[in-house]
Amino acid sequence: MSAVRRPAAPVAGEHILDLDDLGVEFTTETGTVRAVRGVSLHVAPGETLALVGESGSGKSTVALAAMGLLSGNARATGRAVVDGTDIVGADEERLSGLRGSTVSMVFQEPATALDPLSRVGKQIAEVIRNHRRISAADAAERAVELLRRVGIPEPEQRARSYPFQLSGGQRQRVVIAMAIANEPALLIADEPTTALDVTVQAEILDLLRRLAAETGTGVLLVTHNMGVVADFADRVAVMYQGALVETGSVEDVLLRPSHDYTKRLLSAVPRLSVAEADGPGERPAPEPDAAAAGEPAVELKDVSVVFGRGKHAVHALKGVSFAVHPGETLGLVGESGSGKSTASRVALGLIGPTAGSVTLFGADLAATRARARRALRAGIGVVLQDPVASLDPRMTVGECVAEPLRVHRRRLSRREREALVADVLDRVRLPREMARRAPRELSGGQRQRVSLARALVLEPRLLVADEPTSALDVSVQEAVLEVIRELQEELGFACLFVSHDLAVVQQFARRVVVMRAGRAEEQGLTSATLLHPETDYTRRLLAAVPVPDPVVQRGRRAERLATLAAGRTEEQG
Amino acid sequence: MSTYSFLIRRVLQALAVVLLVTVVVFCLLHALPGGPARGILGPQATASQIAAFNHEQGLDKPLPVQYLYFLNQLVHGDLGMSYTLNEPVSQLITERLPKTLLLTVLSAVIGLLFAVPLGVWQAVRRNKPADYVITTLSFIAYSTPVYFLGLILVLVFSQVLPWFPAQAPQGNSVADILAQPQGLVLPVVAGAATMVAVFSRYMRSATLENLTEDYVRTARAGGTRPRAILTRHVFRNSLTPVVAMLGYYVPVLFGGALVVEQLFNYPGMGLLFWTAAQSSDYPVLLGCVLVISIATVTGTLLADILQRVIDPRVKAGRS
Repeated sequence: MSAVRRPAAPVAGEHILDLDDLGVEFTTETGTVRAVRGVSLHVAPGETLALVGESGSGKSTVALAAMGLLSGNARATGRAVVDGTDIVGADEERLSGLRGSTVSMVFQEPATALDPLSRVGKQIAEVIRNHRRISAADAAERAVELLRRVGIPEPEQRARSYPFQLSGGQRQRVVIAMAIANEPALLIADEPTTALDVTVQAEILDLLRRLAAETGTGVLLVTHNMGVVADFADRVAVMYQGALVETGSVEDVLLRPSHDYTKRLLSAVPRLSVAEADGPGERPAPEPDAAAAGEPAVELKDVSVVFGRGKHAVHALKGVSFAVHPGETLGLVGESGSGKSTASRVALGLIGPTAGSVTLFGADLAATRARARRALRAGIGVVLQDPVASLDPRMTVGECVAEPLRVHRRRLSRREREALVADVLDRVRLPREMARRAPRELSGGQRQRVSLARALVLEPRLLVADEPTSALDVSVQEAVLEVIRELQEELGFACLFVSHDLAVVQQFARRVVVMRAGRAEEQGLTSATLLHPETDYTRRLLAAVPVPDPVVQRGRRAERLATLAAGRTEEQG
Repeated sequence: MSTYSFLIRRVLQALAVVLLVTVVVFCLLHALPGGPARGILGPQATASQIAAFNHEQGLDKPLPVQYLYFLNQLVHGDLGMSYTLNEPVSQLITERLPKTLLLTVLSAVIGLLFAVPLGVWQAVRRNKPADYVITTLSFIAYSTPVYFLGLILVLVFSQVLPWFPAQAPQGNSVADILAQPQGLVLPVVAGAATMVAVFSRYMRSATLENLTEDYVRTARAGGTRPRAILTRHVFRNSLTPVVAMLGYYVPVLFGGALVVEQLFNYPGMGLLFWTAAQSSDYPVLLGCVLVISIATVTGTLLADILQRVIDPRVKAGRS
């Protein structure tokens, strides 16, 4: 661990990126918004600077300003010097010459970052030929080499693929191949792993680290994920409301933060507790399960779900069984495509199982008639991931919350309905006056509380929450989870909590089901399963989660890579 | 899905649609008051004359029987005899169809040649004076009825400025008509005007939408120049929705031909349809509608195939 760092005095030529009093203003219909104010920072060759902050802090705007990629209504002030050229005020021709050659960028959303109608090899070759006078055939050959370098199997064939034929992780590798095509001196990565599963995230971070080390590239990493920061960064700059509040080495900022905001931010980050030494032998004896004794709110028994028929059939669930009991929270975790959302929809009665049975509040769903099933469903509340999309923009908050009452309690008078809405808004700790506002006037966290109020207004016996906080900042996430926890204690509902975030599930759920490729890979008490997993898969999943402590994370990374390498030699031997 | 099985499926679907159209049209035509006998024999015809005519033409049989009879003949290429022109309908159509195709295809191609670049150009110059002027002109062209536009064209470019003839070229073959190209100018312009207005709008909005896509930012981040981004990436991506619209536009083109041919006295299917409609010439009407529906179905089929060529995702069954 090197405690001694170069002093921060900017020396022109030594830094590959130098931001000096950078400001960015957006002209909008409602006036001018100062998104970034007086940001000064630098990136030296070969080092990684992480720019962190919550949504709206201006960190992505800084990254785009350094690329000269700000939108048309933005105006930059100050200086953003990349390898001797000030990006602020440079003309498009000058910028085109720099982009993709001296400085390049990896974006958040690999699903949309590539032209859907061009073959990926061609898109990589284009970046090469933008800056070098080589023939199309040579560029195509280089593109194949780059695909190999970023770890795409069978690069010759893959170069001829269209983006939709690749997985999310592979697409991100293609975007990285484009970014490193001309060996840039500076790589700007804007949330490069946020849209990816944790195991893929770990691979992409390994790849970026290796490539940066090989070529001495400086990296500006924009992220909200403190685990990623701990895993990757040498230095950290923290942004809050458009300004830098703290800059320092990764150990200083993450372990000994000096600014109040940084402290608050870090304390809100859910931390995955990890066992000191892994071993199934240390697994604690299962504690007597009091809650499990009663009748479960919902129980899936050996449920299989098949979509489609014949050779196109997709086996979304294969013999999954679990139960959620009143008053307890069951976490459903797994990577994308593991079937966790399908399982939650089966529990809701939205998807009928192809085989197996679903029992809701003691009644077999397959044996109940439509009317009875409707009555059963009134006992379930649902909170979904996207707080923007799940509220009707034409309704007021009050109408959104009252809607389940209109469906299931038709006899209520308007006054009674309003009283219930006001009551439930109190419960989720939103002011009653908010009932008259429109959802778009609310922040993401407030909207998610409105969703929660709507889910709770019928006093459900089961709450199904599908990634309820993944679109929210950590501080907001903490508040929303706290509200759910308190209400559960008060009302005693069962909660099925679907999440990809193992740290959140570890803190929030009493029991956990780990899903993989449509199967329940393993389940048990969270305290046991996520600390001393029984299966290799869960172990790998846990190992891939970066923890927001650079020292611990360094050890975990080494351990993970060693395990991977051992696995590889075993396969070969 | 392989291209082969895709084609078979789509052609079968197309045939089913055409068959359905014949049923619908057949029913509609027979629901009209008066019936064909009144149309042929005139208002003075007696009830016994009408009954005799109906018996002679098989019009007294039950409708399903008449329909099956019609279908059987159709399979043999026989669309019946025109009541008023005393010629086989199939012959009338084979004579007129190529001329209408010439007019519509020419209008469509010329219309697109203007519309597509215009739309892209507008998108690039969004909210600048040029964009506003063209947008205004588009809306005027779009909201002007074709017959009115045709009259204005004749008035300005034939009467006031004697540049082009007001009458379309006459003749029995396409070659005859192509021999007098100056006569085609005004009908083609009248037919293409709406096309330019509509498709420049489609192209403008498709291009604008694509210009904000993430892949444009990726290309810029790779140092691709704005012009190359437009020609290599945005253009192709914007074209896919426009191509899909093109298939649905075929019936509109034929509808336009109806008016344009009438206005310029152009001897095509539109004129034939018009005169047949006025004299309740059922066999001709049915034949025309059938041809137009086949053309429409073929148009959408071609658009689907073209989309598969442009967009690999369509072929793979996702989009």
